[in-house]
Amino acid sequence: MMNSGFDRRDFLKMLGWGGVAVALNGCGNTSVDDGKETVVSYVETNDYMIPSISTYFNSTCAQCDAGCNITGRIREGRVLKLDGNPDSAINRGKTCGLGQAGVQHHYNPDRVREPLLRKGGQGEAITWEKAYALIAEKLNGVSGEEIAFLTGGVSGHLKVLLGNYLDSFGCKNHFVYEAIAPAVLRAANKKSYGVEMPRFNINKAKVVLSFGADFLGAWVSPVHFSQQYAQFRKGVDGQRGVLIQVESKMTLTGANADRWVVVRPGTEGILALGIINALGIATGDIAAAVKGYDKARVSKETGVPPGQIDKIAALLKLRSPSLVLAGSAAEGYAHGSQNAAAINLLNQVLGNVGKTVEAAAVVPFPQMAPATGNTAALKTLNDGLNAGKYKVLFSYAANPVFTAPGAMKFKDSMAKAGFRVAFAHYLDETAMQADLVLPLDSALEDWGTQVPEYMAEGAQINIQQPLMEKLHANTRGMGDILLALIKLRHTEEYKKFDDYYAYLRTAVLQNKGALGGGVADDDTFWNETLSKGIIKPAGSSHVLSGNATAAGLSLPASAAIDAQYPLQLIPSVSASLRDGRHTNQPWLQESPDPLTTIVWDSWVEIHPKKAAELRIEEGDIVEVTGKNGSIKAQAYLFPGIHPDAISIPLGRGHEALGRYAKGYGVNPFQILDAVFDKETGELALHETRVKVSKTGQRFIVVKDEGVAGGMQMGRKIAVRVSSDKVRLSEEV
Amino acid sequence: MKDIREDIAWAKINKDVLGSLENPRKLYWVILFCAFAAFGVGIGCEVYQYQTGLGVANLNNPHAWGLYISTFIFWIGMSHSGTLLSAILHLMHADWRKPIYRFAEAMTTFSLMTAGLFVMVHIGRLWQFYYSLPYPDERGIWPNFQSPLLWDAMAIFTYLSSSILFLYVGMIPDLAICRDNMHEGWRKKLYTLLSLGWEGTDRQWRNFRVTYLTIACFLIPLAVSVHSIVAADFAMSQQPGWHVTSFPPYFVAGALYSGCSGIITLFIILRYVFKFEEYMTLSILKKIVRLTFAIAMVWTYLNAVEFASVWYSSDQASKDILIQKATGTYAPFWWGMIFCGSIVPLTLAFKRAQTSIPMLFAVSLLLNLGMWLERWMIIAPTFSHGYYPWTWDHDQWPSLVQWGMVFGSFGWFTMLFMVFCKVFPSVSMYEVKEMVYHRSLHLKKSETAEQGAP
Amino acid sequence: MSVNNLLENWSQFRHFHPVDDKPHDPYKWAMSIDLDACTGCNACSVACYAENNLPVVGKEKYAHGQAMHWIRIERYWDEDDREFPDQGAQFLPMMCQQCEAAPCETVCPVAATNHTADGLNSQVYNRCIGSRYCSANCPYKVRYFNWYDYPSDDNVWPAEMNQQLNPDVTVRGKGVMEKCTFCVQRLHAAKGTARSEGRIVRDGEVQTACQQACPASAISFGNLVDPESRVHKQWQAQQVALDKDVQTKDKEEGGSELRGYRIFEELRPYPSVMYLERVRESAV
Ligand code: SF4
Ligand code: SF4
Ligand code: SF4
Ligand code: SF4
Ligand code: SF4
Repeated sequence: MMNSGFDRRDFLKMLGWGGVAVALNGCGNTSVDDGKETVVSYVETNDYMIPSISTYFNSTCAQCDAGCNITGRIREGRVLKLDGNPDSAINRGKTCGLGQAGVQHHYNPDRVREPLLRKGGQGEAITWEKAYALIAEKLNGVSGEEIAFLTGGVSGHLKVLLGNYLDSFGCKNHFVYEAIAPAVLRAANKKSYGVEMPRFNINKAKVVLSFGADFLGAWVSPVHFSQQYAQFRKGVDGQRGVLIQVESKMTLTGANADRWVVVRPGTEGILALGIINALGIATGDIAAAVKGYDKARVSKETGVPPGQIDKIAALLKLRSPSLVLAGSAAEGYAHGSQNAAAINLLNQVLGNVGKTVEAAAVVPFPQMAPATGNTAALKTLNDGLNAGKYKVLFSYAANPVFTAPGAMKFKDSMAKAGFRVAFAHYLDETAMQADLVLPLDSALEDWGTQVPEYMAEGAQINIQQPLMEKLHANTRGMGDILLALIKLRHTEEYKKFDDYYAYLRTAVLQNKGALGGGVADDDTFWNETLSKGIIKPAGSSHVLSGNATAAGLSLPASAAIDAQYPLQLIPSVSASLRDGRHTNQPWLQESPDPLTTIVWDSWVEIHPKKAAELRIEEGDIVEVTGKNGSIKAQAYLFPGIHPDAISIPLGRGHEALGRYAKGYGVNPFQILDAVFDKETGELALHETRVKVSKTGQRFIVVKDEGVAGGMQMGRKIAVRVSSDKVRLSEEV
Repeated sequence: MKDIREDIAWAKINKDVLGSLENPRKLYWVILFCAFAAFGVGIGCEVYQYQTGLGVANLNNPHAWGLYISTFIFWIGMSHSGTLLSAILHLMHADWRKPIYRFAEAMTTFSLMTAGLFVMVHIGRLWQFYYSLPYPDERGIWPNFQSPLLWDAMAIFTYLSSSILFLYVGMIPDLAICRDNMHEGWRKKLYTLLSLGWEGTDRQWRNFRVTYLTIACFLIPLAVSVHSIVAADFAMSQQPGWHVTSFPPYFVAGALYSGCSGIITLFIILRYVFKFEEYMTLSILKKIVRLTFAIAMVWTYLNAVEFASVWYSSDQASKDILIQKATGTYAPFWWGMIFCGSIVPLTLAFKRAQTSIPMLFAVSLLLNLGMWLERWMIIAPTFSHGYYPWTWDHDQWPSLVQWGMVFGSFGWFTMLFMVFCKVFPSVSMYEVKEMVYHRSLHLKKSETAEQGAP
Repeated sequence: MSVNNLLENWSQFRHFHPVDDKPHDPYKWAMSIDLDACTGCNACSVACYAENNLPVVGKEKYAHGQAMHWIRIERYWDEDDREFPDQGAQFLPMMCQQCEAAPCETVCPVAATNHTADGLNSQVYNRCIGSRYCSANCPYKVRYFNWYDYPSDDNVWPAEMNQQLNPDVTVRGKGVMEKCTFCVQRLHAAKGTARSEGRIVRDGEVQTACQQACPASAISFGNLVDPESRVHKQWQAQQVALDKDVQTKDKEEGGSELRGYRIFEELRPYPSVMYLERVRESAV
């Protein structure tokens, strides 16, 4: 059982390894003078700890699941800044804006600080002992069948421990839910290449043809891809890579494309087949499958001019290898799987598989591999809740009350669980519905291991470690909570672990050999591991077993315009707000959306042509109505969107989550229709049809762009040059 | 038409002018109270702004300057009236200026004092304003002598101190008259102190004339330089719409223009309030009106010069601003400026208008408005539409705090002026006497001539 | 201190940048930003908030144009009235260009913003009286004024948010001007270390916060005087010279086939940031 001495003990351990880390690094590697030491705490200053001189710890960014490795700068015992760990194959010293804001997750003034028990409408602070006892009481006599454990994506030892905990009840109801995840793509990749997440070598491609994969923004591993992209632009053999982006709403990646191809929503797969047809190099069943997709038909269905299709095909033929990516924009339809499969087929036809699409390395511990989330899991949970199957619901690292499509009415379903426990950093919408809220340590205070879903080079396990002492005395690490809970059931087995740190250390050291520890003694290996923040085990690679077949491909013709709801709603995912879990970080609220430069609010992107038709001007408050409700937001005239679509960013519109999030903007999740991908059962994010009407109200849009609206007025500010007018090969 | 009657008794002059010093009418108190209240509004706004930060003025990036600087220039411009009438016309021997120069000089001084306030409310850290003064500093830190703002600070201080001196020196003989005619009391003490033992001896008169002339000569280039330097704040910068060679003469012309129209306004008010019809005659008013008309045309011409040189230059950024002024957000104000500054004065070309008091009153107010708009139209459009299109911003308007302080400044000015009129003679007695004497001499001479020379 | 001192020593403080009466030695900090690599992601801007204690002003103040981002990412569209931006957008990170002949410097009445020996446009918060003349005269409008007292504003740095503040950087109170400093605190530390080792700062030893974060490595930063530095090499390869207002290459007929340029070079502020033009494929 935990007691209040926990913090100190935990932290003293840290000091222990820290001291050794210095001993290791002290031999000439670093010195006080260069201001960079891999050292440690302020609480018990050693000789080398000099106030005003920063120390640096490695850890892992927890702001998204890409698993970038970070280095925290600590001074006088406070973490000040996070930057990329240069030794990481994923992010090579870089971070995205979301990653930068990690410190605001930690220092957020709205963190939950005490275990809270619902008393009427209020949360009452209780002790951890009481909280654990309460959980034990509620689980008493409940069968494993009647327990549901909802989490976001989890991996590493936490996943193992969670598995063990659930096993102790015989509970199989671990629902892994991610509101925005490439779940359809995983399935399609599995079919096309034999693995869910191969490596995409953007840097090795001469042409990247992306169907709505926002790999510079929010897709899969954006920091990693951004670096690859920069190399790709510098060129292979002096030839600058060409990016073609096909989508209905311009993403950040689309904004960086050499050619941005606007396509009728949902017809990405048709265009892919049309390009295969135009390439004319496919054989066998593929050739047969694409035969019907001649330019005229494809052009008519997709709205892409025939000339454009020719140009893309010609370029792909001319420059090899290329890389074709299927992104979330292509996946978000009822036929999303088909779209993704058709797009993946292009890689097969172009011979990219094995060159730019490669097998990724695998961590040799399958039990630690990431449990990736999807919306199908949430649907199952929701159905179960509605059927009254669950007596106790746990929720961790997910906020379904905010992110579930409105049609699911998750909040009501959740109320049907007998007892609801939320492990939370903040009182988000889901925590607000819980009976018991258990406050978590921030990612900068907690221990952990993580296995990234997308492996950049070799296999790697990320270390997460505290960058400073806990801010609040009464928060706990998730691992520690699980350990405490499991001890309630298997006391003997887990007795030897004082805390999660001990568990983690033991677990790692048990596998020292496989983790590259060699003959080093335990302490040395452990301290080295923590010092590096990354474990690089000798990983094996999956073999790509892709088969180039068009079997089973059937793409529906583009849907006819629905007279009542004539517009397609594209909920867009921004690189910094994602599904809205970090909207309470003010740097992110005030960081302008790259394309519209809007801050602190939601907006409805609408093509100027459509806007003129509807007599909508910038700043008009419009009502967006679908079958499942309506929301009101300011209109923004945006040229990068198909005239038959509108787009609203996800992540804002919180009704909870603290002062920086609550009350800013609207939540388009609320009005999503419950349409699912036919093959995978995933929520089809782009399948909501809406109409737009003016409310008569009008605001001045709060954005960074001035009245010139992104025009340079003939002044030479952001200059662009055509690739044939510049010599790149001589550049530094 | 005679500018002044040649047969006014000197005792009557004393009586009329001294009469204006005492027993204020009820209306006086009402106006003073209103002025005080308006000033109070300004003070309230400043206190709020000081406490909260300049953000409450709704200034921003790019609108770093606002009405504070516009109104600052406006008041500096106003200040040119006194110098024009006292110094310039003095040197030009235009003796019709005599009955009216005193209050114009007071206007100069008070306008400068008002202008100074705007520098204070404008800066972000009022409490550190003295950093901009060249005071000897232990660390050898000097202000930046390259900055026109520093020239400004120095020019305005010099101008203010010289103006006060000029006003005071020119008033000494009158202060002696006051001293000699007042009952015992604080007034008597004050006048005794200030008149410096003036007895009107020959030597005193000689010294007085030389001193007065010297200051007048000193003041004229100063007045020209002050507004040239204010113009330099803009012309020496590198911003489109500001970097204009003709700005210094343009600013000086604008200053004289607003000074003149200010004189007309106050002329009419004083004439009415103090019943100074005998001294502030329509004939004199007509002369000022003609002068105003001339300056209006000079101002219009310099405007045209500026527009033409921008239009035919290759400076696209400046051209854009000109277009923006004429067609953009600020167009109503810009055209308002053109209307008030160049069209309205055309009425002054008509003889009938030159002597119609209500008409002139209205016109002078419009001219003042035009001159204020001119200053605003120098500031705002360049900020809203500078070199860098990304930061263009046409939508920010001055907040009520800014307007409050502009409003308050009029209260402050009126307050000072009202108090002045009750403490010091607002018409120069000794000079009006000189004028009457000269007129009577002249009359005698012409009568003698008519009768045939002996 | 006397006026004599001023008269005698004034010339020593003033010289004409960037002519070679006083070349920067051993440091001249400069940057180059590759617009073809920059994706417009905004990471640099957030990093700058984190490093330099920039206040988050909130929606209301942002709406009034009072944002404090020292580096802003501008997004430009094509201007030829096409229906869709089918060549994408153009992004441009804009921060203080650390002009060699900075228009902001000459006009400051109190010399609160001036040039350092290593070629930075410095901003002395304690000296600034908040006249905002510098901002008025900055062609790029990259100076940000403290319109409010952010340290005491409720939701800017409430506890525990204030613990994140970088102790190497001041927290600015109301009424002073601020702007990108090229992360001078980092430069200072690096120079100190180098000095104590009897050498100059090596290329790559010091990074600005924006450069460090940038996922696309679009920003290079370093010592222009050091022939080994990447920045020096880039400027040289692009034939962009610091002290020219028209580059020789730009006088060539038919273009130079080089991408380097500086914004508003013709106004002669001699900016220390070189941009590399964004490239667009001609074949598609
Ligand atoms: S992509 Fe950004 S948020 Fe995600 S792990 Fe990397 S740095 Fe963190
Ligand atoms: S960019 Fe602006 S603020 Fe920076 S040095 Fe140049 S003029 Fe000054
Ligand atoms: S705002 Fe400060 S730095 Fe700028 S000119 Fe005024 S005093 Fe100088
Ligand atoms: S150089 Fe430093 S201060 Fe300047 S924009 Fe980059 S991070 Fe901000
Ligand atoms: S971080 Fe780099 S890529 Fe992103 S906007 Fe800044 S300069 Fe561009």
